[in-house]
Amino acid sequence: MATRAVEVNSAVPALSAERQVTWPKRQKARLSNGLEVILVESHTIPKFHGELFFRSGNAAAIDRGPGVAEMTATLVRTGTTKRASRQIEEDLRRIGADLASSAGSDTSAISFAGLSDFAEPLLGMVNELARDAAFPEAEFERERRQKLEEVKLDRTQPGFLAGERLRKVLFGAHPYGVVSPSEAQVAAYKRDDLLGVYRDFYTPENGMLLLVGDFQPDAMLKSVEKVFGAWQGKKPLSSVFAAPANPRGRRVHLVHLPGAVQTQILAGCHAITRKHPDWVKLGLTNSLYGGAFNSRLVMNIREDKGYTYSPRSGVNPLRQYGYFSVSAAVRNDVVAASLTEIFYEMDKLRSLPVPEAELADAQNYLSGVFSMGLATQNGLLSQIAVVALNELPEDYLETYRQKVRAITPTDLLETARKYLDSANMQIVVVGDRAQIESQAALFGDLEVYDAQGKRLG
Amino acid sequence: MKQLQIAIESTTLANGLKVVIAPDTTAPVVTVGVYYKIGFRLEPRGRSGFAHLFEHMMFQGSANASKTQHIKLINSSGGVLNGSTHYDVTNYYEAVPSNALERVLWLEADRMRALKVDDENLRNQRDVVKEEVRVNVLNQPYGGFPWLDLPPVAFRNWANSHNFYGDFTDLDAADLADVFTFFKTYYVPNNAVLLILGDVKPEEGFALAKKLFADIPAGPTPPFADPTEPEQNEERRGNVEEKFGTLPAMAIGYVVPKRRTADWCAMALLDQALHGGRAGKLYRELVLEKQVAVELDGGIDDIFGYNGPTQMVTRIMHKPEYSSEQTLAAFDEVIREIQENGISEDELAQLKVKWQSDFVSLLESGHGGMPRYGLMHLLACFTLFDNEPQLVNSILDGFLAVKREEVQAAARKYLVKEKRAIVFRTPTASSAKEAA
Repeated sequence: MATRAVEVNSAVPALSAERQVTWPKRQKARLSNGLEVILVESHTIPKFHGELFFRSGNAAAIDRGPGVAEMTATLVRTGTTKRASRQIEEDLRRIGADLASSAGSDTSAISFAGLSDFAEPLLGMVNELARDAAFPEAEFERERRQKLEEVKLDRTQPGFLAGERLRKVLFGAHPYGVVSPSEAQVAAYKRDDLLGVYRDFYTPENGMLLLVGDFQPDAMLKSVEKVFGAWQGKKPLSSVFAAPANPRGRRVHLVHLPGAVQTQILAGCHAITRKHPDWVKLGLTNSLYGGAFNSRLVMNIREDKGYTYSPRSGVNPLRQYGYFSVSAAVRNDVVAASLTEIFYEMDKLRSLPVPEAELADAQNYLSGVFSMGLATQNGLLSQIAVVALNELPEDYLETYRQKVRAITPTDLLETARKYLDSANMQIVVVGDRAQIESQAALFGDLEVYDAQGKRLG
Repeated sequence: MKQLQIAIESTTLANGLKVVIAPDTTAPVVTVGVYYKIGFRLEPRGRSGFAHLFEHMMFQGSANASKTQHIKLINSSGGVLNGSTHYDVTNYYEAVPSNALERVLWLEADRMRALKVDDENLRNQRDVVKEEVRVNVLNQPYGGFPWLDLPPVAFRNWANSHNFYGDFTDLDAADLADVFTFFKTYYVPNNAVLLILGDVKPEEGFALAKKLFADIPAGPTPPFADPTEPEQNEERRGNVEEKFGTLPAMAIGYVVPKRRTADWCAMALLDQALHGGRAGKLYRELVLEKQVAVELDGGIDDIFGYNGPTQMVTRIMHKPEYSSEQTLAAFDEVIREIQENGISEDELAQLKVKWQSDFVSLLESGHGGMPRYGLMHLLACFTLFDNEPQLVNSILDGFLAVKREEVQAAARKYLVKEKRAIVFRTPTASSAKEAA
């Protein structure tokens, strides 16, 4: 990369003394039915944000079909034994609340936010959805048809196609290898399977309720006990899956999208989960590589070369396995040039120690943005959810910044060598085959697929 | 919910720069924004997309902070930064640990005082912007639908109807002289507001603003083209081909009454009645009941952030077995119903609670990892358009005073065919076939 000589002008004001970062107290409780509860005060606005998590998602429901936990979550808000869909929606509006139900690979969740004045009716609604969802036949048929159209649409989006292929390549037959059902799989969904998932997953022993906002915790805990106390249900049996093979050797996986005027690049390799002792080190390595605006890759292929608008790298932790990935949507004629730089920057981090000054900048960045979550209810909720769901140590939030600041150039070199697995990166490119195949083939053995996942060559 | 009482202090420096401070010590984080009163609506003719391209140039270097320094200095202070171009404003913003406040203000002042960019920077960012347009529009199913599709059909004044992201020929034609002319014309302190939110003492914030910005010379009051639309007296329709997507889509837009009038408040609640999520009449009828549509959403986007003609837009993706006309007929049925019967007292009460609740959430809403973007945006728009940042605390009153007859009257007056525009986004034969 043609680096320019960059000098920081001496007129730049120095940073003043840092104000102490203080994370609010997390009040924890476990109801007699096993439901874990975490309450955190935040009085920034007269509202509160909450999430009722269940520790089972699409992976645990895979024997019933891909995406069945997601479909179950979708149906949860469409009717209960007490309220029809229309009533649910109007009652939410009446108390100024927002609510969503969804499922990812590892969890199912009901997320909500509402005015503090109406906390109890909103908790009541959440409780009703978690316990008394009715899965009306007509709603099931309607949602299934909507889902069919959605999965068709998804496979016209370059970003989706890239992500779907990478997960398939990295995780194969493991449930993490599937991010979305096929049309045929959606057509085969059965209402009984959804009911089964609901019965098994949506139980207090499998649940965790997080509430952050403008309330008095003791009073809120009393409301929680009153609303959720009578609920009963066991933890589901945990499913065990064979470990996915870690693909060896660079390979290129081209998804052919006729007429594409740009190429979506996404490359990735196996990495680690949040519980791993190297997690913070990998986070810092990632932010130096391509995880921040001021990172090497962004400065190279965006600010220097203009190949792309939004190059980024990231560490993606699922509960059992994690993976590292780097993405960029680039001009069709610079696919090979972009991949060259992507690997150049990766190999450089694996070969040369990061200069002290650059390390200090990255440490400041990571510890600074970590504290942004403190400023809003929603930000706080997501930080606390990460700690709770991953069973990270109690003092994780309080000690994170120290851990970041203790990292040395040698640590980074070791971390990059371990996890920025350049030689075994799996490269996905989504674009028009005729324009990019020969460029992509320079980087490894090439397989070609269509948007539906059918092998073309 | 009790009346909002957000602490807000403001002043105007001698050079015309407005400064607004909203202190809140909850977290040791400070959010800084600089808003300029120029967006893509009034960018120069023959230079579509220029306001946005120019926004990129503001990150390319200033007199005392060369290219990459803005980014590096903010990130290495523990903060994030970005900018965005809107219809009537362009913003630059940072969220940083509060010990970096002076540094951030220094950087903003430096680029307000003296942008320093060259041809290579312009070439580089032109390439970046083209990839931005490709990733968001040209290579994306339903890219630009309907925010780029509807204006050329709906409006007659170039200011409101042109391609805001920019035709590539116009982007290519832009040169460095355009950059500096635009900078000198619109990026003057007397056409801007500086906002500081969060962990700051107002007196310290004002003192820093004065120290760093007061010597930037004011410029002539910028000329603004007239964005007024000629009276619309007929329904307008247009078609756009969908190259990738599989479902037929349409967008229907009705002109919104002038901001901060009683009609505008009534229209906002009418919008809630129609588009307020799954309880909204349109979603309920078209998606849940009649099941003509697969997806439906819409409304008056960024209602407080406009200073010129805008529309309330409904976006529908419908099942292929229903024709566009059948889908439109189902939509029209909902409009006719609300025009004939209005809404009930109970429904109006629900809408008002939800409206308040949404407004409060908007204040905290983030953007790119930045807390309180929403409050910053409202304060900026109320300052630049109304010269009244305190409106944040009182603007809700007008909406809460709306009566049901006014909602019905707004439906009858504004939701008429002669005042609307419709764009059909239809999958081309090849994309429909491939999905089959």
